[in-house]
Amino acid sequence: MTGAARFDGGFVGEILAEPGGEHLLTCWSCGTCAATCLVRRFDPAFNPRLLLRRAGLGLREQVLSSAEIWQCSACDACYPRCPQQIHISDVIRAIRNIAIREGYAPPGPHAEVDPQRCSGCAVCTRACPYGAIDRVVTFIDDQERTIARVDPNLCQHCGICVAACPSGAMALETVNDRELVTRMGAGGWLERPGMLQGGADAPRILAFVCQWSIHADSEWAALDALQSDGLRIVRLPCSGRVDPAMVLLALTQGADGVLVVGCAEGECHYLRGTYLGRGKVLLLNEMMKQLGLASERIAFAQSGALDRRVLPRLVDQMRADLVRLAHEPAAAAV
Amino acid sequence: MVDAARHPQVEIISYAEVDRVDGYIGNFRVQVTKKPRYVKMDLCTGCGECAAVCPIEVPNDFELGLAPRKAIDVPHGQSVPLIYAIDMDHCIHCYQCVTACGKRDAIDFGMEPEVLDLEVGSIIVATGFDNFDPTVIPEYGFGRYPNVITAMEMERLANSAGPTVGKLMRPSDGRVPKSLAIIQCVGSRDKRFNEYCSGFCCMYAIKNAMLLKQADHEMDISIYYMDIRTPSKGYEEFYNRAREMGIRFIHGRPSQISQDPETHNLIVLAEDQEIGEVIELETDMVMLSAAAIPRLDTDEMASKLALSRSPSGFFMEYHPKLRPVDSPTDGVFLAGAAQGPKDIPASVAQGSAAASRAARVLSQDTWEIEPVIASVNAELCISAQGKKCGLCAKACPYGAITVEVGQPAVITAAKCHGCGGCAAECPHNAITQDHFTDAQMVAQLDALLADKPEEKIIAFMCHWCSYGGADNAGTSHFEYPASSRGLRVMCSARMDEDFVLEAFRRGAGMVLVSGCHPQDCHYITGQQVAAKRFSRMERLLQRVGINPERFRLEWISAAEGDKYARVITEMDAKLKSFDREALLAETLAARPIIGKRLARWKASPLMAGLVPLEATEEVLA
Repeated sequence: MTGAARFDGGFVGEILAEPGGEHLLTCWSCGTCAATCLVRRFDPAFNPRLLLRRAGLGLREQVLSSAEIWQCSACDACYPRCPQQIHISDVIRAIRNIAIREGYAPPGPHAEVDPQRCSGCAVCTRACPYGAIDRVVTFIDDQERTIARVDPNLCQHCGICVAACPSGAMALETVNDRELVTRMGAGGWLERPGMLQGGADAPRILAFVCQWSIHADSEWAALDALQSDGLRIVRLPCSGRVDPAMVLLALTQGADGVLVVGCAEGECHYLRGTYLGRGKVLLLNEMMKQLGLASERIAFAQSGALDRRVLPRLVDQMRADLVRLAHEPAAAAV
Repeated sequence: MVDAARHPQVEIISYAEVDRVDGYIGNFRVQVTKKPRYVKMDLCTGCGECAAVCPIEVPNDFELGLAPRKAIDVPHGQSVPLIYAIDMDHCIHCYQCVTACGKRDAIDFGMEPEVLDLEVGSIIVATGFDNFDPTVIPEYGFGRYPNVITAMEMERLANSAGPTVGKLMRPSDGRVPKSLAIIQCVGSRDKRFNEYCSGFCCMYAIKNAMLLKQADHEMDISIYYMDIRTPSKGYEEFYNRAREMGIRFIHGRPSQISQDPETHNLIVLAEDQEIGEVIELETDMVMLSAAAIPRLDTDEMASKLALSRSPSGFFMEYHPKLRPVDSPTDGVFLAGAAQGPKDIPASVAQGSAAASRAARVLSQDTWEIEPVIASVNAELCISAQGKKCGLCAKACPYGAITVEVGQPAVITAAKCHGCGGCAAECPHNAITQDHFTDAQMVAQLDALLADKPEEKIIAFMCHWCSYGGADNAGTSHFEYPASSRGLRVMCSARMDEDFVLEAFRRGAGMVLVSGCHPQDCHYITGQQVAAKRFSRMERLLQRVGINPERFRLEWISAAEGDKYARVITEMDAKLKSFDREALLAETLAARPIIGKRLARWKASPLMAGLVPLEATEEVLA
């Protein structure tokens, strides 16, 4: 990548003309977005500042063919902090639109529909924060059926649809149900009885933690060190990925409490995934109450990505709640 | 300051407010209210025995609340004049100060505010700046994390006369910090708050870093910056010295500061642009280089002195290059950060310049003004007939017009800058602007539209911006159609709706009204007067039967030659798209309606021979 010959001024004009791309050239590369961006934690190659810089220089081929333009999930954590008030995800979307028109496609995994199982109920369509799922009429085994269809250009592989699908027809490579249950029960964690069942001396807690809700590597390392028989941490791409069936499975298999941790208000990496996760936990709480069970055993909490030492406090709090429950007569099993 | 206080020709009036300013260059009347100090200025020796016995302690503003002061105190040790004052909001009237003052008998609890009427020849506004409050930037945690401080607080903490006697301490635990992160451009160069560059923060950040590094060579200091701006004489060398001392400069703007809840250490998250990596830096203390912002009472001062403000909010100078210390009001000058963020050398230079500009006024018996001014025809002014009007006074950006019912409006010639807004605004044609009279304007229209008027675009341009823009289009060799005919006035405020109507009555194909962008107006608010007036133009044109598409309003600056060329090109294309016959018919039909509207003009002897249309009648027919 040397030489001015590859600077394509026309590319800059194209982006500026695309809705959302208007502010490309006001970027002065301060790096606030790069330091805010959560995607960078998983892929250091992704750098919104550099992406805008390359686009602003007119490096057409390099930008359009890069995998990075597809990685932004439009969480807009960077936008409120940008001193030039550039809506960066809009600029990236404008670039994507150009890429799609020119035949480029996102390389990453995307949710897939099993046409045999899909009932066409549209629950996933409503759950998807990106509007990536619609329904099409198709013929399966000579029968006319309406089934879901995922637009790979829009899918951000958050897994919310997988959790939402009542028929188990949605699949996503990295966060399939089987994969998650394996992670929950690794090392026989799920087989052992909990404190409320009279097994363990201390409460056993399963924490589903959104992978975006904690930013610093050091924080994650500290959390991993906390894992023990009393605490199992399962990372999810989003708290909206929590499947109520898995929460209940954990409670029947020896977990005393299940803690779901999502992002702080307004920080959800998948637009409204935190809202969906919280809704699921609230419904589960309600269900527990109706069944006459202690609703405190399932809790939802939020953590700002850059807050420090929030999760240990949340776990301690839940532990205290569960210990209190153990001394109450109504601490029934599931 | 002490020198100034001792000078026989200088009187310092401190602890006072300017209430109002009347008059004009060489003859200002300034009313000032001196607040009661409750201490007699002639008897107080500044010994401070009263403060020593005062039992009341309140946060010290000068020390930014980092230290206490007494209810009877001086603002700071070097105050001029060194005379104590009682803060009655906090005084408990124990009178211990009276006892301490003893025979000097300087304390007087019965003191009242004193109103002074000053007669002065010129005024210098040097009201300084305020500091941006970083609490509004949540990601930097100022106000929530004790060890995040502003540069101003750092100045006090590192000052040997400050609250810690020069020993830098962490507010959270009083420990001496071993590391410091300095963050630049807090609240400046940020569209969320202030778009401008605050100018001197780079230098004071480097200065603070160097002072701390000199005191403690082991201290780890990082400066986060977007751009280091050290353009003045000797500044770059200063910056280089800081680098050589081992101060770390990180090219990147932090996105977040978080706090370790136990140690109160801070973690600064930023991308280093040079290596393209996000770095987390744990540090004992963070200093925010907060922007200089206009003083909060700038608006109030602006209205008292008829000053205007730049888009950034600071006072605006008369001309950015040629008259940088003059305000738009003659005889009022600007100095220091009140006009824009400035460091000490620049403030001193501007202060000296303002003093010599002011002396220029004081040393003369007479003052020459521009010949373009407005005057009132007492016979036509409706106010003289006992009717309420005052439209001219409302339009005047300089407060040069006074109107009393029963008397004709009076224009103070020395205050008039000749924008002509009043002349256009007067519904009775009672005001004339010299060199831009109605008759002169119509005579120009007459000449410009003598031949094939329906193919012409009449472009009204203000002298300072749009005329410069047209000039720029010419000198830059931007091509545009030859159909435009320019008509210069001093300000868009002078552009009377009647001129536009008259142009159409004379058969002009299109009319453009152009002036400065609002923030560039040479006459403070002249552009706003015009903008308001021409916002009604579309409806007015519809009423007289002229297609409003034949009229256009554009704000074109002197640098926008390309815009001028584009506007004329677009208007020419539009004009060519109209059907010629229909256009002529439209003009003929509208002519008597407009003529009726302009009947008062016809009555004016000055207009005789200009208003009738016999000459152009044939051309149209």
